[in-house]
Amino acid sequence: MSGTESATSAANDATGYVHPEVLVETSWVAAHLNDSNVRVIEASEDVLLYEVGHLQGALKLDWHVDVQDPITRDFIDQQGFEKLMSRWGISNDTTIVLYGDKNNWYACYTYWLFSMYGNTNMKIMNGGRLKWEAEGRPLTKEIPHFQATTYHAPARNESNRAYRDDVLSGLKDANRRLIDVRSPQEYSGELLHMVNYPQEGAQRGGHIPTAKSIPWAIAANPDGTFKSADELRQIYSGKDIVPNKDVITYCRIGERSAHTWFVLTQLLGYPRVRNYDGSWTEWGNLVRAPIEKP
Amino acid sequence: MLLSWHSINYRHFCVSTGENQSMDRQEAIEFLMDHYDNPRNKGPLEHADVSVTGGNPGCADVITMQARFDKDGKVEAVNWDGDGCTISSAAASFVTEITRGMTAEEIEQMSFEDLVEQLGRELVMTRPTCATLALGTLKKGVHEYAMHKRAEAAD
Repeated sequence: MSGTESATSAANDATGYVHPEVLVETSWVAAHLNDSNVRVIEASEDVLLYEVGHLQGALKLDWHVDVQDPITRDFIDQQGFEKLMSRWGISNDTTIVLYGDKNNWYACYTYWLFSMYGNTNMKIMNGGRLKWEAEGRPLTKEIPHFQATTYHAPARNESNRAYRDDVLSGLKDANRRLIDVRSPQEYSGELLHMVNYPQEGAQRGGHIPTAKSIPWAIAANPDGTFKSADELRQIYSGKDIVPNKDVITYCRIGERSAHTWFVLTQLLGYPRVRNYDGSWTEWGNLVRAPIEKP
Repeated sequence: MLLSWHSINYRHFCVSTGENQSMDRQEAIEFLMDHYDNPRNKGPLEHADVSVTGGNPGCADVITMQARFDKDGKVEAVNWDGDGCTISSAAASFVTEITRGMTAEEIEQMSFEDLVEQLGRELVMTRPTCATLALGTLKKGVHEYAMHKRAEAAD
C-alpha cells in the first residue's frame, strides 16, 4: 500500500489539503477493487441507489439499520461497531473506502462516526457516486460476501462530538464558533427541514444564537469533488471560522454537519471541531433554549 | 393492497427485533427496485384524456402522467414517463398499476398517506414529495378532466 499511498498524496498535493491522504480518486479506487486489504462501502442518502448498482465488491451501509441504536437516540456502541466491522470482513488493518451520493454527504457522516471508534484507516472517494458515474465507470448489482473477521475497537472517543450542554455553555464564549450548515431557509426559520422534505421534527424554527450560516454543500464542486483548500479556507475564514477557535457544526440531525466537520478537520486541519448531532431536531424542541430568528 | 410490498410479507405488523426489521426493509427495497428496474406502463399513451406533467420545486424530477378513460368513466390505460430519482420513478410505476380501473373520483379521493404506506413508509418517509409526485400529478390531471366532463354534461 505504501507506493499507492504516496501516489495518492502527490495527486492531492496541488489542492493543499492538510491531510490529503484521507481522499482517494476514482481512478485509485478502480485500481483497488480487487485489493483484499481494501473494503469499499457505499453510504448513500438515497436508500435504493446501492440496489440500482454499486462499485464491484462494495458493501452497503444503511443508516437506519447498521449504525443507529434502535431504541435510544444514539449510535451503535463499541460492541455493535466491532460486530459490524466483523460482519463486513473488515479487520483493524483494512483500508476502508467510503463513497456515496450527494457530494459524499453520508460518506462523511460515516467517516465522522467511525472515527469515534478510533478507525484512522479510512478514505473518502473524492467525487463520490456522481463522479464515478460521470466517468462511465462500471456498476454492478452483485452483493459481495466476506468472511467474518475479528475487529477490536477502542471505547468511543467523543472528542469529535458535541452535546447540547456543550453548545449552551459556550454561547457567550468568545472563542466559540457555531456553524449552521442547513439551507438558508432553515437557518432563517422559514422551514424546519430542507425543501421537499417533511417539515417536522422541531417545534420551533430559527438557529442557535451566534451561529454563522454556511450551507454544507458549498464545500463541493459541481462534479461532487471537494473544493480546493484555498477556496475552502476563504469560505470559512470569510465567516470568521478560523483554526484557533473552538468550532461546533450542526444541522438538523447531524449528517450534513458531519460533512462540514470532515472538511474542517481533515482537509483544512482545524484542530478543534465537534459535530453537534442533536442539532436542530434537539435544539428546536428544547424548552427555553435560546433561538435567533430574524 | 394486493400489489404493495406488504403482500409479500406481513411480518412488519409484528416486528420485534432488529433482524426482522432489516429483513422487512430489504423486502420493501426489493419491491421498489422491481418497479424501478422494470417500470410498468412507461412511455407515451395514445388518445390520452389526461396528460399532465409535474415536478417539485428545487428538485430535478419531472414526471408526466397520462390516462385514458373508457365509456364507463373508468381508467382503461394509464402511463407515466419522465426522469425521476429512484423513489419517484418506482412510485410512478406503482401508481399506474393501482389506478387502472378507477374512476376519476376514486383517484381524486386516494390518500397520499395510504400510498406512502403501500410503498413502504420506513423507506420513503424521508422523501415524501418524491413518493407522491406521480399520484399528485395524476390527481391534478384527473381533477381537470372531471371538471371538463361535468361542464360538458351541464351544457
